[in-house]
Amino acid sequence: MLDSINITESLSREKDPKLKEIKNNIHSSLSSVFSRYKEEYKFTPFFRRIQKKYDSLSPESSKEIEPKNYEKILSSYDSLRLVIVNGTFVNKLSNLPKGLNVSSYDKLSNEEKENFLNFYTQTDDSNDDIFSSINLISHEGCVSISVNEGAFIDKKISIINIIDSALPSYFRKCIILRKNAKISFSEDFIYINPTGNFSNSVTEIFLNENSNLNYFSVQKMNSNFHFNSINVVQNKNSTSTFHTYSFTGKIIRNNLNIKLMDRNCYTNMFGFYAVKNKSLVDNHTSVDHINENSISNEHYKGVIGEGSNAVFNGKIFVRQKAQKTNAFQSNNNILLSDNAKVNTKPQLEIWADDVKCSHGCTVGQLDEEALFYLMSRGINRKDSISLLLSAFSSEITEKIEDENIRSFYQEVILNELEELNHD
Amino acid sequence: MLEIKNLHASIENKGILKGLNLKVNAGEVHAIMGPNGSGKSTLASVIAGREEYEVTEGEINYFGKEISELSPDERAREGIFLAFQYPVEIPGVSTTNFIKTAVNQVREYRGEKSLDAVSFLKVMKEKMKLVNIKQELLSRAINEGFSGGEKKRNEIFQMAMLEPKLSILDETDSGLDIDALKIVSRGVNALRSIDNATVVVTHYQRLLDYIVPDFVHVLIEGKIVKSGDKNLALELEEKGYDWIKVKN
Repeated sequence: MLDSINITESLSREKDPKLKEIKNNIHSSLSSVFSRYKEEYKFTPFFRRIQKKYDSLSPESSKEIEPKNYEKILSSYDSLRLVIVNGTFVNKLSNLPKGLNVSSYDKLSNEEKENFLNFYTQTDDSNDDIFSSINLISHEGCVSISVNEGAFIDKKISIINIIDSALPSYFRKCIILRKNAKISFSEDFIYINPTGNFSNSVTEIFLNENSNLNYFSVQKMNSNFHFNSINVVQNKNSTSTFHTYSFTGKIIRNNLNIKLMDRNCYTNMFGFYAVKNKSLVDNHTSVDHINENSISNEHYKGVIGEGSNAVFNGKIFVRQKAQKTNAFQSNNNILLSDNAKVNTKPQLEIWADDVKCSHGCTVGQLDEEALFYLMSRGINRKDSISLLLSAFSSEITEKIEDENIRSFYQEVILNELEELNHD
Repeated sequence: MLEIKNLHASIENKGILKGLNLKVNAGEVHAIMGPNGSGKSTLASVIAGREEYEVTEGEINYFGKEISELSPDERAREGIFLAFQYPVEIPGVSTTNFIKTAVNQVREYRGEKSLDAVSFLKVMKEKMKLVNIKQELLSRAINEGFSGGEKKRNEIFQMAMLEPKLSILDETDSGLDIDALKIVSRGVNALRSIDNATVVVTHYQRLLDYIVPDFVHVLIEGKIVKSGDKNLALELEEKGYDWIKVKN
């Protein structure tokens, strides 16, 4: 199977000698990375399905982008935004606040490049995940995003990724929060074609001391394929919060890997999926407690509709040095039909002895007794189901502190549940 | 109002009701008594339309209309109310929001205008007094963390809000202390009128001291075997159900 991963074309296009070296290295170790594919993609036939469609996994060589084409799509998004088309940052379409610096790698100064390379590929999972390695080899123009020391950006920034290509699209960004910086992002992927395309995105995130990041993702991929890997390294006293909401996609695969390097790190990983239209949503997460006194809190919930599939795999590692760790993980699923399916696997590996950890998962159906109770008061079946499903999701959205952002995402989820309930 | 004829009902192919007859007119209070497993709660559930039960024979006529095929929400909108023996806890759904949705769907069905936030609150405040229920309780999720007494009071509160024609109280006295029993009974009595009817399902005569029935029926093995006035309940209390079983 590996032989047919044709990505040499993109490799030969790389001109930067340093990047070329990195890419060559990972290319030569592809077979060892690939050996993990079977276990990591047990319930997600990603490779097979994508190979059916593409002879080559190389992207198009970057073509001229016509910003005008996208203005209409962008008008419905936040005014503060960062726009990336087919992996290339488009400054013209973006609107960035003070304190946030964004550039593609090739536009950085030599000094900035050197600095950038200290972070680049330091945390990604290209040695573990075949799609991450393919991203590393195939992407062009990694987007460098840095938030200045002490910058406190209170308005949410939309990261809008546009896929306007019949060939695979690769997105890669490296986000660095300097000391005491605080920022919130929301990320969307928009496919210009409604079906059959493949996008592959890798994001590396570095949180320096005392920095604080909120990261929201909404995944409505229609009938497209999407691979998304977010890799986070946290330093002392830093806080990160992720909300991942997934709805449609031929296959959506999310890797969220968080390393808590130092003391007093705090991370929240929240997710909600309402899977419909024969979609498959796969969330693989890991959190690695490396040092003392850190907290991780993970809760994913999902509703799976007729003919759809979900996968959850959550790993928690608590290293020997990571005493006084608090790590919680939970995954709850509701299957709406006999033809809905979920595979869930919580994993916990602990080497330290003074820790508080819990994990668990549930798979069930709508509570018939609760449904009867609501209906017996005169509420019709459809609205009763809606009430129960929205209550089920509210446990996740309730965690959003900002009231406006919370009600925005509650609305998004409610609409998706409504559609799911309609089918 | 309600006329049940030769009703047979089963759950998972197990027959529970075996030819039950009952007639309830507007303005009346009926008590259904009987030993454990005689089919009392099944009768309550079947009238309310719980889908696990199957009516295999007979009819349930409500205002002259056969309702066996109606869904629970349709029956509720027609004015049937079931106060649950075990009210369900539903985390994440606020009680107020739930009741407002229910009231407005019922009103819409009756061709009435839905209540806006202000008038809804006004009606709610009024009915809250009836069963001594606090605002704080209603802003919580449905029955979540409610005590046994609070749950039952919440049932009667919902009954007051929905203004049903036929109320079925399924062992509303179970799990209540004497004070709570009084509050709940006071609520039920306040809602009595010549236009509506109440069916009280209970094990014990105690509740009937507070909600005085016009008729008492004894249900044994899926059939009503004896009917009488409130004195029948007293007699049962004294002699036990075996008294009737032996006589039959």
